[in-house]
Amino acid sequence: MKRSLALALAVGAVAFGPLGVLLSRGLGVDWLATWTSPPTLLALRGTVVTSLGAAMLALTVGLPLAVLIGRTDLPLRRTLQAAFTLPSALPPFILGMGWVGLANPKAGLLNLLFGVGTFDIYGAGGIAFVLGCAAIPLVFLPALASLARVDGALEEAARMSGATPLRALLGVSVPLALPAALSGAALAFLFAASAFGVPYLLGVTATPPTPTLTTRIYSEVLVGSEGLARASVLSVELLALAALLLVGSRALARGVLLSQGKGGARRPVPLGAARWPLALASLSVMFVLVVLPLLAVALTSVQPVWGQFSGLTVKHWSSVLSNARTLDAATRSLVLSLGAASLVTVLGLGLASRRRGWLDTLAGAPYAVPGTVLALALLTSFARDVRFIAFDRVAFVLALGNTAWLLLLAYVVKHLAFGVRNASDGFAQVDPSLTEAARLSGASPARAFLDATLPQLRAPLGAAFVVTFLTCMTELTLSVLLIPTGRDVLGTLLFDLQSYADPGSAAVIACAFIVLVLLAQFVRRPKEA
Amino acid sequence: MATVELEQVFKQYGSTPVVKGLSLKVEAGEFLSLLGPSGCGKTTTLRMVAGLERIDRGVLRIDGRVVDGPQVNMPPERRGLGMVFQSYAVWPHRTVAQNVAYPLTLQGLGAQEIAARVQEALGWVRLQPFADRPPSQLSGGQLQRVAIARALVARPKVLLLDEPLSNLDAALREELRGEIASLRATLGTTMIFVTHDQHEALALSDRVAVMNHGVIEQIASPEQLYREPATPFVASFVGGANVLTGTVDGSTFTTHGERFELPGEGPATTIAVRPEHVRLGEGTPLRLLARLFLGSAVEYRFALGDVVLRAVGPAVEAARVGDHVRVGFSQVRRYASPAES
Ligand SMILES: Nc1ncnc2c1ncn2[C@@H]1O[C@H](COP(=O)(O)OP(=O)(O)OP(=O)(O)O)[C@@H](O)[C@H]1O
Ligand SMILES: [Mg+2]
Repeated sequence: MKRSLALALAVGAVAFGPLGVLLSRGLGVDWLATWTSPPTLLALRGTVVTSLGAAMLALTVGLPLAVLIGRTDLPLRRTLQAAFTLPSALPPFILGMGWVGLANPKAGLLNLLFGVGTFDIYGAGGIAFVLGCAAIPLVFLPALASLARVDGALEEAARMSGATPLRALLGVSVPLALPAALSGAALAFLFAASAFGVPYLLGVTATPPTPTLTTRIYSEVLVGSEGLARASVLSVELLALAALLLVGSRALARGVLLSQGKGGARRPVPLGAARWPLALASLSVMFVLVVLPLLAVALTSVQPVWGQFSGLTVKHWSSVLSNARTLDAATRSLVLSLGAASLVTVLGLGLASRRRGWLDTLAGAPYAVPGTVLALALLTSFARDVRFIAFDRVAFVLALGNTAWLLLLAYVVKHLAFGVRNASDGFAQVDPSLTEAARLSGASPARAFLDATLPQLRAPLGAAFVVTFLTCMTELTLSVLLIPTGRDVLGTLLFDLQSYADPGSAAVIACAFIVLVLLAQFVRRPKEA
Repeated sequence: MATVELEQVFKQYGSTPVVKGLSLKVEAGEFLSLLGPSGCGKTTTLRMVAGLERIDRGVLRIDGRVVDGPQVNMPPERRGLGMVFQSYAVWPHRTVAQNVAYPLTLQGLGAQEIAARVQEALGWVRLQPFADRPPSQLSGGQLQRVAIARALVARPKVLLLDEPLSNLDAALREELRGEIASLRATLGTTMIFVTHDQHEALALSDRVAVMNHGVIEQIASPEQLYREPATPFVASFVGGANVLTGTVDGSTFTTHGERFELPGEGPATTIAVRPEHVRLGEGTPLRLLARLFLGSAVEYRFALGDVVLRAVGPAVEAARVGDHVRVGFSQVRRYASPAES
């Protein structure tokens, strides 16, 4: 019990300590005045409007898609499922870059095709659109999982009651998947409200500019010490919004009714004559929402000058790949990501092995904290050196400010949820009798854990490692705020290049991210089957 | 009330035949059980009647009308049947009353009529007090009652039941079995009941169709089935008989290297002997393998070559395990065809 308490305090301190420090930075400020000031209200409005739009787009695309893919005989279901899962593995910033290439009002590809000024990706609508596309998996995947759990006999019972296949689908399976989809939509809102890269890319330079809370916080941080206080007050607002959404999402998810029975073994609903038209429609949506922006990024990386399509060239590729700055950033990203993935896996295993639900929740909490807020909290907490003095004599100095260690800490704190969740799901699957059999065969507790328990956890722990590694390699928000001056990781390099007039080179790095993510998908596929 | 008629029906999944030329006629108002071991195709047959599976070959008629066959396939929602599933299949997002009302809603009836008929149907299964409860607050037995009310509320032509009692504990099973019997007496609906429990089938049915490997081995009234099993398989599945294959010479039957005197005369390659027709104390000496006390009786297991011969007798014999005991048959059924399981 004592050990649990100590552990809880330690985890709590890491998860919430920095947030506390951040709050204290805002103490001297007039909160009400800051919150009701026109710029804040404008930013709040920007966040709510773009996030609501994104959540609605994710829901309107994600739920019907889940029903079509999960419950009908739509052709090419696997392709569609893989494609619509992809955005969850890519930083949304890349989709944003693709859309800048496609729908920049003057030089975007689509505008060159359909006439200058037809599409404008800048502003609230564009932000909502891009974030909505990126958030589709947040609705699609839970809805799909929920549909797969519905006992097939439930729909058959509706058929026997006189319902047509379509009516049975809409009357039984869809309502049963709806709570999961709505809960996912609330997460999509949270995801969009926490996003920084896309609103920065598409909001700051829009006319008129569309600020959001995250981009306002960033610009306040750049102002310096006075701005930091205001940023802290804004962070509280964003944090409150996030908490609200999280609670909402949880409440909705509680409505996910687990039906009795084993699910599966169901005949997909035949679409009949609508089969191919619907497939074509789904493929078109997939092409526009997922494939097109990625193609645009690839195209940007080979354009001689941005917006010019003749004389495609590999000059960006050769300059980026031979640049010492790229190499330096790639190395730093690799080292930090490997370190973070290892720590997340090991710490996740350690915490989950206590088998305490609240401890898992505590350790997972920072994942729900918007990246901007978390970064800011760590920034303020370690701006000055932290000293611990033990026994009046020995002093430990923790000087993380402006070092890559702080970034490592941020990566670990943010993604500890991956490790804890995977490990504790793994522990739930572990057959305890295997470990008990090892004990009875004469193994010590530690030996039995190593020989009998750990091998059963290999798959979930491996998944935690890979996901954390990939997420950190392509991470943007934390990196941009926490990178030591004069240093780079791949995310900040991408951000800098895109923001400061070299979209061709930025596209090269984005392509590298896309390839990395696609490779990881292909490597992991056979294991899951 | 309606008849159900299957004529030379075939069904296979992939390349595995599951139902092989099954013919069956269920009379109007009849209670017919499909009885057989796991995997013999009972559920498949029932689902074909329901319309949830297509038949590959053959004809299916309901009320004399072809509903599945060459060029005809009436979807389940238009066949006017009711079905009760093993897993209850009560919709968790609707209350008890809403579950039961659903078939009537689909028929487009008025709210008042629906309410009245839902009340009536809930009355059949004694669930009126639970009308407004969500299914999550019901027990397994209550859920299955909801499913029965829902299947019967629209007065289906035929009620199909797929092992409706097998997820319930023994006491509940008995109780619900009685309720199904009395419902059937009140409503007179034609019922097809799938089960692998011979007691259930014998207790409830007008006729029982014993299935094995996708065909019907015998279809008869429970009593006839029990007294005159048509095949060795039926004898062993329904009566628990010992099925022995061997050769007959006069009244002497040789099987597994042992010789037995049979009562009566007649040719046979296979005989079936019920455990209660195995007489102890006279006949061929066999080694006693086990003695199981059943309360009112004792079951004895003897080694007969490499198979086990089961006998049931009064709990008085003092034979000990390992002893040789003389064994004879007081009644046997003879079959010309060899046994197959
Ligand atoms: N959808 C399916 N695809 C492939 N094979 C199937 C399918 N449904 C059933 N089978 C096979 O067909 C055979 C008969 O199955 P069926 O469910 O009709 O058996 P059953 O008599 O109801 O058995 P049980 O008492 O176990 O329910 C089994 O061998 C089963 O594995
Ligand atoms: Mg079955």
